[in-house]
Amino acid sequence: MGWEATLITALMLLLAAFMSGAPLFVAFLAINLTGVAIILGPAGFGMVANSIFDTTNNADLATVPLFILMAEVLFRSGTVDVLFDAVDKLIGRMKGRQYVLTISLSTVFGALSGAGMAVAAMLARTIFPTMRNRGYDTKLAIGNILAGASLAPIIPPSVLAIIIGTLSNTSIAGLLIGGIIPGLMLSAMFLTYTMVRVKLDPSLAPDDNDDEAPKITIGEKLRAIASCLPFALIIFSVMGFIMFGIATPSEAAATGVLAATITAAYYGKLSWKMITQSLGTAAFITSMILLIMASSRMFSQLLAFTGATSELTNLIVNLGWHPMMMLFIMMAIPFILCMFIDQIALMLVVIPIYQPLLTTLGFDPIWFWLIMLLNVTVGGISPPFGYVIFAFQGAADNVKIADVFRASWPFVVLFLLGMVVLAAFPALVTFLPGLI
Amino acid sequence: MALSYFLIGMGIYRQFTHWHDRLTVAGYYLACVALAIIFGAYIIEVFARYFLNAPQWWASEAVSYSLCACTFLMMPYVTWKRGHVAVALIFDLLPTNGARIAIWLTYLLGTLFCGFATWISMDETARQYINNIDLMAVKPVPKYLISIFIPFGFASSTLHFIRLLEFKAIDPDNLSAGGFGED
Repeated sequence: MGWEATLITALMLLLAAFMSGAPLFVAFLAINLTGVAIILGPAGFGMVANSIFDTTNNADLATVPLFILMAEVLFRSGTVDVLFDAVDKLIGRMKGRQYVLTISLSTVFGALSGAGMAVAAMLARTIFPTMRNRGYDTKLAIGNILAGASLAPIIPPSVLAIIIGTLSNTSIAGLLIGGIIPGLMLSAMFLTYTMVRVKLDPSLAPDDNDDEAPKITIGEKLRAIASCLPFALIIFSVMGFIMFGIATPSEAAATGVLAATITAAYYGKLSWKMITQSLGTAAFITSMILLIMASSRMFSQLLAFTGATSELTNLIVNLGWHPMMMLFIMMAIPFILCMFIDQIALMLVVIPIYQPLLTTLGFDPIWFWLIMLLNVTVGGISPPFGYVIFAFQGAADNVKIADVFRASWPFVVLFLLGMVVLAAFPALVTFLPGLI
Repeated sequence: MALSYFLIGMGIYRQFTHWHDRLTVAGYYLACVALAIIFGAYIIEVFARYFLNAPQWWASEAVSYSLCACTFLMMPYVTWKRGHVAVALIFDLLPTNGARIAIWLTYLLGTLFCGFATWISMDETARQYINNIDLMAVKPVPKYLISIFIPFGFASSTLHFIRLLEFKAIDPDNLSAGGFGED
């Protein structure tokens, strides 16, 4: 069998295994163990066992449970409610203020949480009912929440950035810090889009008087700013420590957990029960993610062994297409696949294939993988399969899935626009990592 | 006679599932301890490095070993609670009986391949023990002491998959949640 047939067969079988509904780690195990039996024979089974061991014995990946634990401590303790109230007070009276509140809160939560699902679920339970009751447009409100929650995997801490960095052997610190400007840029784009729509169609938001916006004094605003300071400590413990070279990303994640715990204690919300529940959930999610990663690792080794990876690289080199054309194709494939399959599973398949191509095409790894991060993140809100969509629908009352799908599309387009901007201006990604 | 054998068999099965569940819950709490060790090791490392000018040689190794332990000690609990990530759309698209069969097949697939993984990882751990293979580290540690968590996780998950194979227990009113995934 030629390398083309091997590659296509392997990818088709893997896709079929994913779509069968089996747990992703079982799908990877099925394909990899069968592949090893056919290609290497029983002598290769030891390699599978060692690839599983090597993946789960990697200290860099300890950042994943620590970032999850940090967000768990903040969300489970209810400490984020303080932040919610503070941001609410700081936003003045304006038409469409709940939209502004949603995006602003999402951006701040993005700096405290590594994944979008928790943020989407929280906003669906808190801000979404308020918006509906006050007459805000349901679809625009849903779109704002979905898009805002999707900032979490881009703005550090980001679990997806760690996984991409580990798999592609790219600087994890660079990827984390590189996500700051794109995250803020997307946040600004969402706000601009929403406010322009409200301006063009005032029926999308109630009038100022109907919005029940509280009248806040200067003193209350100052107190609101003061109540945010402990959260600034958490953000500095993660981003600041990485940027100033005080700690590695894993160590910074641990100091972030410590800062989150101190903040919860400061607001009197620390309890033994909350800590054990947070540890349990973080360990649970970590096991889920690392099992998929451990089970998938042999796939890239098998592709390399059959020569498919190197032959594909040679083919791309000989095509001689413009690098931007290649970038478009390399991003279009995951964008479409992400509508149907899991983001992590997709990265585990795509990264080993793309990684050798980057040098050939002359792409900066941090720039390329950051655009890829945006690409797989948008998979969370692109119908029909998206974790953020499911998390939102699961937490919100009386919302039709068709409405959620329709609400997400404009923001998917904004994400794509953001990717185009980053592709055109690489400095937006590479500037901050260059300072480390 | 047959009835008494059946009742004895059922009693043994109930005892087995009872102790298997307790072992799974013990794994859950030990995984939490492993995660707490990861957190503590890094905090001690950062504190010792910056305030005592004394970097700790053991911190990074403790983190690596604990991460492996955490992943595989928690694995049976994740399987028990059907918490693994899966693309569960197919269960919504199929008619009720078809979805039940599809879910049952995913459990069968899980049984077969987790069982297979148990065998190869146990075989590799035994090889490491017999050949006295150590992990490359500041203080070399026998590799089997860490890798033993892998066959434990796969073996216990295989048993959970076998227990899930009981066709009648697949809830026809909640088929998406009966499988794996986010629904």
